[in-house]
Amino acid sequence: MTHSVRRLTRCAVLTALALAISVCEGLVPLSILIPLPGLRLGLANLVTVYALCRLSGREALGILVARCLLGAVVGGNLTALAFSLTGGLLALGTMWVLLRVPGLSLFGVCIAGAAAHNTGQILAAMGVLASPAIAVYLAPLLAASVLTGAVTGAASILLVRRVPWGNERGT
Amino acid sequence: MRSSAADRTRPTLLDGLVAAAVLAAAAAILFAFRPTSGNFLTARIVLDNELVAEVSLSDLTGPVTIEVPGAKYPITLEAEAGRIRVLHSDCPSQDCVHTGWVSRSGGQIICLPNRLVITVTGGTAEADAVTG
Repeated sequence: MTHSVRRLTRCAVLTALALAISVCEGLVPLSILIPLPGLRLGLANLVTVYALCRLSGREALGILVARCLLGAVVGGNLTALAFSLTGGLLALGTMWVLLRVPGLSLFGVCIAGAAAHNTGQILAAMGVLASPAIAVYLAPLLAASVLTGAVTGAASILLVRRVPWGNERGT
Repeated sequence: MRSSAADRTRPTLLDGLVAAAVLAAAAAILFAFRPTSGNFLTARIVLDNELVAEVSLSDLTGPVTIEVPGAKYPITLEAEAGRIRVLHSDCPSQDCVHTGWVSRSGGQIICLPNRLVITVTGGTAEADAVTG
């Protein structure tokens, strides 16, 4: 009982955090500097990485879906929900697999996650437009994801090391 | 500790491989969608999967503004000899306006909120400007 309450609280706090991060990121879009649709730093992905490393895949999935749904409610945009959900789920799956690959650090995991997120978004856009034309945007987005992935990777290494939340038991 | 990747603090060789693979994928997409040469440029304006207008850019002598009927957010295009752009759009993202002029075959302007795709293709000019 106490355990499940702890788990629920933990997920709720992380969901709120992820939502706040993604809203803040939306206020200062990276695309002002580089005019590329869909480009963002992906800081909300930090929460997903953290949840994958310190909690479990199931909890990470729950946090992600809740964040996307709440984000759509806050932003009031259903199309955006399709984008963030496809991107987020693809990124989550990729990182979940890659975290199990030996010899890979969080840099590589986050770069692949960012690339998967962009691919998912473009796939969703292809579905919305019913045209493969938008895939042109994927090339610069993938190139950018190496940079944004490296930034979030560095941040997530600090985060996962310094906040060993999931390991403490008791209280 | 759940996973080994979470413990490393420095990038490894495999990380470099991941980055290289992503860049290679980007290069492959760029290659697949490379612009082709063509003297006659045609802009196809597709709104919500329906062809709204086809403008033969090479035949234009002066600037022409095009209103797209039925767009969710009012959008105005500007076309002139050999190029086309979104002059103004009421859409929230404004990505289409920021794309600027497109003057090469294979180039496109996409306004996602409007579900509008403008594709510039090169090739033979068979028909004059068709609007419908």
